[in-house]
Amino acid sequence: MTLSKSYGATRALDGVDIAVHAGESVAVMGPSGSGKSTLLHCLANIERPDSGQVLLADERIDELREPARSELRRTRFGFVFQSGQLLPELPAVENVALPLMLGGTPRRTAEQRARQWFPPLGLTGKEDSRPGALSGGQAQRVALARALVTDPRVVFADEPTGALDQATGQEVIRLLTEVTREQRAALVVVTHDASVARWCDRTAHVRDGRLVDEVGGAGSVGAGHSGADGIDVPDGTGCTDGIAVAGARAEVPR
Amino acid sequence: MRALGSVLKGASSAPEGEGGAASGACGRKAEGGERSGLRRRPTTRRACVHGAAPQTGLPKHDLDRTTWTLTWRLLRGGGRHGLLTAGLSVAASAVCTTLLLLCVGGNLGFESRATHADWRTPAKVAESRAVAVQATGTTFRDGEPVTVIDVAELPGERGEAPAPPGMPRFPAPGEVWTSPALGELPGEETTGTLGSDALTRPGERVAVVGHHADDPEMTTPRGTDPRRAGDIVTPTPIADFTGERDPGGPHAPYQDLMTIITVLVVIPLLVLGASSARLSVSRRDVRLATLRLLGAAPGRIAGITAAESAVTGAAGAVAGALGYAALLPLASQLPVAGGSWFVRDLWVGTPVLLGVLVGVVLMVVGSALAGLRQVVVGPLGVVRRSRAPRMSIVRAVLFVVVLLVYWQLSDRRELSVDAMTYFFAVIFAALSVVGPWAVGQLGTLVARMARRPATLLAGRRLLDDPKSAWRAISGLALASFVAGFFALFSLGGAPPWGSPDQLALAVPEERITQVRQEAGERLARADIEATVGTNDDWVATGTGEDTERQVTATVADPNQLDAAREVLTGLLPGQYPVTGNDVDWQSQQFSGDYQHATFAVLGASFAIAITSTGISAAGTVLDRRRTYGLLHLAGTPLRTLDAARRTESVLPAVVLTGGSLLTGIFCAAPLTLAGGKPELDAGSTALLAGCLALGFVGLAGASAASRPLLRTVAQEAGPRPE
Repeated sequence: MTLSKSYGATRALDGVDIAVHAGESVAVMGPSGSGKSTLLHCLANIERPDSGQVLLADERIDELREPARSELRRTRFGFVFQSGQLLPELPAVENVALPLMLGGTPRRTAEQRARQWFPPLGLTGKEDSRPGALSGGQAQRVALARALVTDPRVVFADEPTGALDQATGQEVIRLLTEVTREQRAALVVVTHDASVARWCDRTAHVRDGRLVDEVGGAGSVGAGHSGADGIDVPDGTGCTDGIAVAGARAEVPR
Repeated sequence: MRALGSVLKGASSAPEGEGGAASGACGRKAEGGERSGLRRRPTTRRACVHGAAPQTGLPKHDLDRTTWTLTWRLLRGGGRHGLLTAGLSVAASAVCTTLLLLCVGGNLGFESRATHADWRTPAKVAESRAVAVQATGTTFRDGEPVTVIDVAELPGERGEAPAPPGMPRFPAPGEVWTSPALGELPGEETTGTLGSDALTRPGERVAVVGHHADDPEMTTPRGTDPRRAGDIVTPTPIADFTGERDPGGPHAPYQDLMTIITVLVVIPLLVLGASSARLSVSRRDVRLATLRLLGAAPGRIAGITAAESAVTGAAGAVAGALGYAALLPLASQLPVAGGSWFVRDLWVGTPVLLGVLVGVVLMVVGSALAGLRQVVVGPLGVVRRSRAPRMSIVRAVLFVVVLLVYWQLSDRRELSVDAMTYFFAVIFAALSVVGPWAVGQLGTLVARMARRPATLLAGRRLLDDPKSAWRAISGLALASFVAGFFALFSLGGAPPWGSPDQLALAVPEERITQVRQEAGERLARADIEATVGTNDDWVATGTGEDTERQVTATVADPNQLDAAREVLTGLLPGQYPVTGNDVDWQSQQFSGDYQHATFAVLGASFAIAITSTGISAAGTVLDRRRTYGLLHLAGTPLRTLDAARRTESVLPAVVLTGGSLLTGIFCAAPLTLAGGKPELDAGSTALLAGCLALGFVGLAGASAASRPLLRTVAQEAGPRPE
């Protein structure tokens, strides 16, 4: 039984089976309306699939109740969206510290941990700037820091470079793939941009709700990159799990 | 119209969140810091660089149509939330219009009542011009006043005496015409019923009695009594029944009170109207900013805003006018100043109605344009907020100066109503000036001290936009000012004259024995047990001579008071026996109405304020729907978002309503209006506590009312910009 999801008469996902390993990055590409965003939503527990299972390590997560789903997203997932995810009222460091505070970390500690993410992401000196005072690329890097500060097991990025110019976008995706690899987090990137997908270990092509093709490994820009080549990630925990969308499988490759 | 189509396409596809594609690109270019895709989009680049340039190249005569078309498309394209905000704006304008019209109707109603009472205070004319004599007296039945107007046609070739208002002709001697509520006078046969022109209100008890010109009632002078304005008028030669307004008449305090009430209610109403207008605009800020980025001139943006707010404002105003018309019969049943109203008195008339409608629409349009100022001034104004605005301490200094000046001017002086009205307006304005500053200070403090995410968010939001936060609670703060003022400023107290079961007549010294004897005999004949005596109090007023003393009849059974009053009537011509309560009836009635008005004003103020708060809360949710949605997607619990929202509204509400309430008490303290004394008694304390409890329950309710909306927008949002 593979993953399916319909909206009324429209079948958005039609039998998808995919696994993303810890430290692995997968780009999901496809034309508009192909179901790639629905796939991301189902993986990220934002939406429930009609059938099939979503597994995180040994744990089935698609049947969790809403509070548990929220907690899961907050504590074990990280999100990077195209735009608008930063709170305009909060300085950058507080934006990054917010997920930690939501998890119960005292403010002072949360801000200290948040500040550690600024130098490796090239944001030194921007800690107290409000998002409105940051460029698009800087704001997106703050969003990266916010997604990564909780040491997530999986990072979901939906068109993370969609609002950026080519050069800035490349810089952001480079940082994203390197940091997640360094953290041993799985990364799922939905993108239209082939140059973004090239930074990922694998590319999954989705069409009409089906996984039609998977390309991986050698040709990817990011393949063979290690965190040591890129940036020094603070306090990486090196989590070992990934995420799987599957029919009957209940295991995640480690 | 091709250019129009392209503008619309850009507008509808533009992201609403911060850093959206179109706005973000221009924002980066404008800051000059980074690469962008502008080179590949020369049109956008040109629009960005030359933001104020003519945008479409349309012939000038098409601009108006373009503006209206754009407006209509934006209105229709707003989706469910757009419709909701438009609906809320319409509803708020409707409530504003209805209450404004009722306030204006109340003012006009009291004026109309006074006008319909004018004929009872005759304008004296020279003997040569006089055609009749008119006098007024007031007796009581069941504690209610009965106005008796005595008239007599003067003999000779003076011309025909005109018919009094509400009567078909001048009454002949011996005729008695009574109002429907009075029915008939004891012992008198009623000739006819007075029409409504003779009356100030439907339930009023009035009798017009015809006399011969030489009857004692028409020749004996009646002394004036400052405690009973309009109750007693000495026989006066008249040429007609136009009358003469007594500026200190019984309607004067009501008119003053209504003026104050109007000011107190109108200000929160303006806040409500403004918040609803801004709600409507806030949702479209980003789209309009995008249009601005695309090159729409400030005039076009202002035009679209004005047109849109005019449409919603006009729809609301018309709905409000219909609501006013529908409520008129109900409002006319409100027992004020003795009883219910004639609907005609509360009807404002077509010119005033249209004036209020236009005024409401202008207010809504003005508020919307003020809210859009950022977009118009700079296309990046809404899209990018780089730093929190700073509120100058000058605002606080100004507020303190206004209060000090007020204290100096009002301390131990009796202020006129006009002066008080101006003061209220100035103090309300001062509160509105200091409010955002106080919110900003509070935001700084909360953000600095915050330990929980919700508190931190709330503090930062207060600091980020103190004016909006103030707008959301300003209605409540102003209502608290009113509560503080009225709580301290109470009227009432027992009348200091006579006793409630003792009737008194003012009798000349030389007739005291005779009147006492006759009074005893009349009471005995009527089988009424009473003690007749004499004293030197001042209850009844006779001819006004200094030698008068009081002949009193104290009834053993209070239920026989009116019976005793009837048998003693006529002992002295033109004089009706009265008790101390009777003498004080105007003051007692006003005091009771003042209490009711206090509750009504406070109720209305708090209801308006709570509605404003609810609308603002809904607007805030809609404004931040994308942020809320993304935070929720990223796992932020709804309760945290809700707690932040609640803290953001409750914290400043608690602090600033408390401050406003103290300001109200401060302002009432030095005043003595219409005999009122500043004291915070148990009743006033209860009133204050009740108002505050009502206010905070309402605030919690208003906040809770938008919780489902928060849940909806949080769960509806997808990761992609709308």
